[in-house]
Parts: sequence; C-alpha cells; structure tokens
Amino acid sequence: MNLLDVRNLCVRYGSEQTGVLAVDTVDLRIGQGEFVGLAGESGCGKTTLAMAIPNLLPEGATVVSGSVTFDGQDITHASEETLNSIRWKEISVIFQGALNALNPVKSVGWQIAEPMLAHDSGLSDKDALARARELLDAVGISKSRSSAYPHEFSGGMRQRVMIAMALACKPKLVIADEPITALDVMTQAQILDLLRSLSSSFDLSLLLISHDLSVLADTCDRVQVMYAGKAVESGSAETIFASADSSESAAHPYTNRLLKSYPNILHERVFIDGIPGYPPDLSLPQTGCRFAARCDQVQSVCRTQEPALIELHTNHFVACHFAEQVSR
Amino acid sequence: MSYLPRKLLQVLGSIFAVATFNFFLFHIIPGDPIRLIARTQKLDPEAVAELRKKFGLDGSIIHQYLVYLKNLAHADLGYSFSLHEGVGSVLLRALGHTALLLTVSTLIVVIIGIAIGVYAGSRQGKKSDSWIVISSLVFWSMPTFWVGMLLVFVFGVWWGGLPISGITTPNAVYSGSLSYMMDIARHLILPTLTLALVDIAFFIMITRTSLIEVMHEDYMLTARGKGLSRKTVVWKHGVRNALLPVMTASALYISALVGGAIQVEVVYSWPGMGLLMYNSVLARDYPVLEACFLVSSIVVLLANFASDVLYRVLDPRVSVAR
Amino acid sequence: MSSPQVLHIPPVKRSMLAQLWNDRMGRVGLLLTTFTLIAAVIGPIIFVFDSGAVGADATTLLMPPTRTHILGTDELGRDVFSQFLSGSRVSLLVGLMATVISTIIGAGVGIAAGFFTGKLDTVLMAVTDFFLVVPAMPLMIAMGAIFGQNLTIIIVIIGLLSWPRTARIVRSQTLSLRERKFVPRARSLGSTNWRIIKVHMIPHVLPLLIANTILVVAGAILSEATLAFIGLGDPNRISWGSMLHFAFASGAVGRGAWWYFMPPGLGILLIVLAFTLVGHAFDKINNPHLGGSS
Repeated sequence: MNLLDVRNLCVRYGSEQTGVLAVDTVDLRIGQGEFVGLAGESGCGKTTLAMAIPNLLPEGATVVSGSVTFDGQDITHASEETLNSIRWKEISVIFQGALNALNPVKSVGWQIAEPMLAHDSGLSDKDALARARELLDAVGISKSRSSAYPHEFSGGMRQRVMIAMALACKPKLVIADEPITALDVMTQAQILDLLRSLSSSFDLSLLLISHDLSVLADTCDRVQVMYAGKAVESGSAETIFASADSSESAAHPYTNRLLKSYPNILHERVFIDGIPGYPPDLSLPQTGCRFAARCDQVQSVCRTQEPALIELHTNHFVACHFAEQVSR
Repeated sequence: MSYLPRKLLQVLGSIFAVATFNFFLFHIIPGDPIRLIARTQKLDPEAVAELRKKFGLDGSIIHQYLVYLKNLAHADLGYSFSLHEGVGSVLLRALGHTALLLTVSTLIVVIIGIAIGVYAGSRQGKKSDSWIVISSLVFWSMPTFWVGMLLVFVFGVWWGGLPISGITTPNAVYSGSLSYMMDIARHLILPTLTLALVDIAFFIMITRTSLIEVMHEDYMLTARGKGLSRKTVVWKHGVRNALLPVMTASALYISALVGGAIQVEVVYSWPGMGLLMYNSVLARDYPVLEACFLVSSIVVLLANFASDVLYRVLDPRVSVAR
Repeated sequence: MSSPQVLHIPPVKRSMLAQLWNDRMGRVGLLLTTFTLIAAVIGPIIFVFDSGAVGADATTLLMPPTRTHILGTDELGRDVFSQFLSGSRVSLLVGLMATVISTIIGAGVGIAAGFFTGKLDTVLMAVTDFFLVVPAMPLMIAMGAIFGQNLTIIIVIIGLLSWPRTARIVRSQTLSLRERKFVPRARSLGSTNWRIIKVHMIPHVLPLLIANTILVVAGAILSEATLAFIGLGDPNRISWGSMLHFAFASGAVGRGAWWYFMPPGLGILLIVLAFTLVGHAFDKINNPHLGGSS
C-alpha cells in the first residue's frame, strides 16, 4: 500500500463559472520511504497539488473532485480537527522562501518546539526545547543559537531551521516546496545533501517540488512532470534522466525540453535551452494537447484531441500521442 | 550613537522646537505678550512695568527669547489673571486629573479596541466583520463632545443614575478613602465611556487592517501547516506581529487622544487641562493657554518616545541597545 | 505599516467613480455626500434663517417642535430647522476650504521631499514630523484664541495644521515612483524636473492623494465643529459646531431639548461619515487586500 495516494484530483481557484482548474485530474502516489520529485514551470499546478494534500490551499481554492488517501485514510474532506492532528505530525511542509515562512518575532527554538507541544500534550516545554536544540544540531546549527530570531540567520541557515522544524514531529511525509530556490549554488548543494541524508535517517517519504529537473535528478526515486495543471509524464528517475539512446527514457516532448533547460548534473552537459512561448491561459477552454502550441513535434491530431496518460512501460506513464516516437 | 541617547537627544530637540514655536506664537506674532494680556485685563502701570521686566521687553528679540527660556528652565510659567494664581500650580493640579482620565480610558480603549479588531480582522469579509467596520466608522465620525452630550442626556438627565459633572460629589462626606475613591470612579464612568466609544473605533480599524495584512504572510501558512488550532494561529502568530504596526499608529493616536480629552473635560466639567483650556479661552487668559499648549506638547512628545521604546522592546528585529 | 506602505497603482481613470459606485460603502457615501451638498446649497434659500427673529416671550424659548417650527426653537426663540440648514453651509465650507489649503501644502511638501530628496527632504520631513506629533487640537485652540474668531482665520488655522499626513503619504509614493524606470528614461530624454513631476509623478500620486484628501475633509469638519464648540467659532456665522456650543452653554441638554442638540450632531455625523465612507472605499480600490464585505 502506498503512503500517499492522490487520485483524479481537481483543484479550482475561484467560482464554478469563472474559476480556473489549476490541477486537472491528477494522480500522485508516494510509497513508504520513497522520494518523489514533482517538476514543471511555475504556475503548472505543482504547489497547488502539494498543498491540497494537507489541505493548506489558499482561500478561494477548492478541491472539486478526486481523493487524497494518506496512510489508508481518506482525508479529502476530513474535518479541520482531523487535518490538524495529521498536519506536521504525519505530513510536514518545508515552505517556499524560508525568510517569510518563519515568524519574525519568535525565536527559532520556540518555533521548532511549538508543533511538538501542540501534538504531544504530555511533553514539557523544557523537553520540547531540548529536542529543538538536538534538531538544530542535526541540521548543522549550534545548539546555542536556539534563542536567536530568524533575521539573525543567513538564507541557507534559515532553510536549515525550516528543515529542523519539518522534522520536529518525526512525520511520515515531508513536502519540500522549492526548498533551495532562493539560495546561492553552493548553499543549494549543501541544503540538498542535508535534506537527502536526513530524510533517509529519519526514514520518511519525501515529495520534492522544483522547477529545476536537475535538482531532482540525484535525490528522487521517481519523478512526475506537470504541465498546465496536468500530469504529462511520470517514471523512475533512471528512466526520466536516462540518455536518449537508452532503451527507456523520457518520452514527453515537454520533459525533454525541460531536461535541456538546465545544465544536467548527471551528464555534465552544459547546454542550456529555454522553452519558447508560454503555458496556455487556463481560464479559456482547452482542446487537444495543452503543450501543442509550444511543441516542436506537433501534429494536427495534437490540436484536436487530448492525449491520455498511458503506461508506456511498467511504471512509466506518458500523455503524448507520439510518446513512442519522440526523440530528443 | 546608540539608539537611546540618540532618541533622547531627538526628544529634547523637539521639546526645544516646541518651546521656540510657542515663543513665536505667543510673544512675537501678537506684538508683545503684554498687549495680548492687556486685551482682556486692566493692568495698572506698576503691573505693566513688572511684566515688562519679567519678559525682558526692553531688550532685543533674542534677549526676550533668552529670558523666556530662562523662565521656562525655572519652571516659571507665568501668572494667571483670571485665577489669581501662578500658572504652574494651576496646571499641576489639572494635569493629575487629566492623567487619571487618560490612563483609565486608554487602557480600556486599547484592550477592547484590539480585541474587537482582531475578531473582525480574522473574520474578514464575514457579516460580523462588516458590521464591526460599519459601526466603527459611524462612531469615528461622531464629534467626541456630541457623544458626551448624548450620554449626559441619556444617563444623566433621562435615566439620572450617573454623575455628569465634576470629579467628586460636591459637599460629600466620605466615610473613608475607599468611599472617596468610589465617588471618583463613579464620576469617571461617563467621561471614560465617551472617550472610549469614539476612540475604540480607531483601534479596531488599525488592528483589523494590520491583522489582515499579517494574515497573508507566509509564516501564517506555516503556523496552519503545523496543525495549530485557528485560535492559536491568529493569536500567537498573527496578533503578535499585527500589534507592531498598531504601536506605530498609536503614536499618532496620542495627539488625537489629547483633543478628545479636552472635549470630554468640557462636557463633564472634569477639572483637568482641557477644562482649564476652555475656561482660559473664555477668559482669554493667555499665560494659561500658552502653558497648556506647551505642557500638552511635551507630554505627547514623551508619550511618543515611550511608545517608540516599547516598539523596540517588542520587535526583536530592532534593538533598544543599538 | 511599520514603514509607510507604498502601493503600486495606476493613474486615476474615469472608471474610479464607477468602482466607487460598485462598492456598497462607497455608494452610500456618494449618495450621502450628494444629498448633503444639495441640502446645503438649496435648503437655506427655501428656509431662510433670520438670526434676529428672536422669541417674543419666555414661552417661545427652547420650544419643542411645532407646525411652524418643525425642529422647535433655540434658547433665544429662533427657529432651529432653518438654523440647522444654514449651519450646514459653514461646516462644509470650512471643511472643504481648509482641505484645499492642507492638500496644496501636503502634496507640495511631499512631492518636493520625495522628488528632490537629500537635504531638502531632511528639512521638510523634520518640519512634517514636528507638526505630526504636536497635538493639533491644543494648538488650534491657542491659535484661535490669539488670532481671533472669523471664518477665514479658522479655515487657515485648520488648513495649516492638517497637512502632515498628506505630506508623508505623498512623499513615500513619490519616492517609490522615482525608483521606477521611466524617471531616468525621461531625464535622459531631456525632460525638466517640472515636466517629470507634472507628467510622471502627479498622475500616479493622484489616486492616493484623492483618497487621503477625502478623509482630510472629514477631519477638517470635525476640527471646525470642535473649535466652534469650545467657543472659538465665528460669532457672525452659525455652524453646526457653534449651534452645539450654544445648546451646551444654554443648558439645552439638561432641559432635555433634544430638538436643539440632536440635529447639528447628526448633521456632522452624517457628513463626516459620508466622506469617511468614500475615502475608505477609495482606499479599498487602491489596496484590494483590505477588501471587506462588498
């Protein structure tokens, strides 16, 4: 059984008449101890999909249909109380931009200890703070700094605090939303290493969200790519990042363009190539393949008929009419 | 320079500026202070001569200014011709009464105003929020003195259960200090209620606005993500941050509060600075008016200073030491 | 708000009035304002107030409403209703004229400080902060007592003491505009300072300025009422504030003469509320975050 099983999820911003389906019938599965990467350009719905899991969607966003099953329990329409008992205790989040995600007027030790106290009424303040200090130590911050405030830390250090905070209740699943985006390259690598090693040692599952596929390459077991609210491809990291001449490799033109958009760490390729054009305006009705307008291998059928997500090989899903012929 | 000495110097500079401004307003613009006083007082030549010496009027403007500053430094605020008493002692008495009124009403205004503001701000767009906003705007649009007149009419005249004038019951005999204090407390009710009705609206509006801004901050989502109850999210994470801008806005409020207190004191004959100003306007007692303006300005400047220090204590991002 | 908030908003468009109308509070405010303005202009023409028409005997003093005096009489036996109508003119006149003075000074100081920055900014802001913290009401009372009681002086005093907030708001908006690309571009194309201010600054400052100006009117009307209540109104021009002064001084409250002290107070409340609602709605259009019910 999967730890997390999201099926046919639809999330809409705004009203039924004028709203926008930011996530349109998307599946997402994460196994026990599995590291899953979620990729796509900004605005493709990856953050919305992730935030729908513990139901932390902003006001105005609603889950229209589909289901979220976590640890065997359907939590799609769970009460706020049930969700509060799951949030952080079972599913914690490393939010985008740690500068603003930490409360500026509370010490970092207090902020790490807070969820422990909230989920364990038997825990004393002193023990919680002691454990917060242990966690700071684990992410490479001196225990003595637990009484410091967020503004006294550098960006990378704040992200470490955020990671320590996410691990506070030993959750089963950590959602890391663009955890390294605002950091410099050196710090990015350190934070990624830390995230990887701690996730293994804490024996948890990880959903890592990034617009940069190379970030996911050596961290994740599996990668799912989204485009304009749809899942367009998902497969094992080996498959997605395999070179084009392998027997099995990334099959969706969008994935392939994404792979070319960033220097590829695995293959030491420094070929950077953006994708021309913009994602479609989702407030308009969609026909055919949503990537058609930007696809360099587009055929007439692509503009009229929406491709279904098919299983190309075992556990390798692609939504493209020409998945088998796509070349890089 | 570190924060405290720098800020203190700034406050002293402002007090100096107020004193100078005051000098020009009362001593230079009307011609000379004696002509101002002589508008309403019959002064015999002897008194005029004494005043001329006191203000240093035979010297240049700079000389007069220095004499004025010297008198101020000796806390010599002049003589009240309508009360036949030194302005300093008159003012000191009034200041105590005003301080009592302002302290009690400010406490009530701040606590209730913030509580209602948080309630409204955390329910933005809901019916209860709209009603709170609308009634706040209505109360904020009322002249304070008129609210006072209405309350006098309702509670003093119509219902008749509460004292509407003064600080104690005239000719009352008290069995002890407790009954004396109870009498003052009863006299405080309507003046405080009047100030509160108008001024609570101000705190509701700024607290609400500030909390709404804070509710959109990322750390509020973090707090929700931690599985905290809605109440904890709003109060522990939201209010603590929302209060910082409220502190800044309160500094402006202090000066408005003084304006409100003057009106309330007039309506309820509360023997404080406001009533003193009112009576001095009617009697055209300029030395008293001058001192009232000077002292109320200094009090407001000091209160602003205090709120600035308090802000630094509450916000870890700035420090009192630096 | 710990630092003044800078909003990025487009210049005023004709649609602003429409947006105002679409906001429930804005609509009520607009209707109330229009109604009061019409009443102030036409009312005193139809119901002429004669300040000399005092009561003939004691029974006509502080008389409750009758058919001839629909809001009764004052302590001198004069008609309250026509007095109330003519008082609206003075309250509105003082409020609007004082706001004109305040807005000219506030916008001028704000744009000058924000645009030229440097030493000029330091000096102007020191003066602004000084007037921001000095308690306005005691100062108005002191100035009123020194300079005498006539309408022009009252207008000037209120105008001279209500500009600092405007200056602060305009300055921070000007500062943020200065950072945007079109200013260096305009300068490199040879635009003069004055032209940059006229073409690029003023139109972008205007929306905030209008919202603020409307709120200044509300404050100025309240200030006039308070000054008149304290006894510093123009003795020859009856305003709502001075009506309340005489009502209070003559003991109308203690005698339960509600027809005398209710109308002027309600008048002030309604017109101040009207301007506050419009200003509040404007703020909401400029800063949609604050959006409430409507």
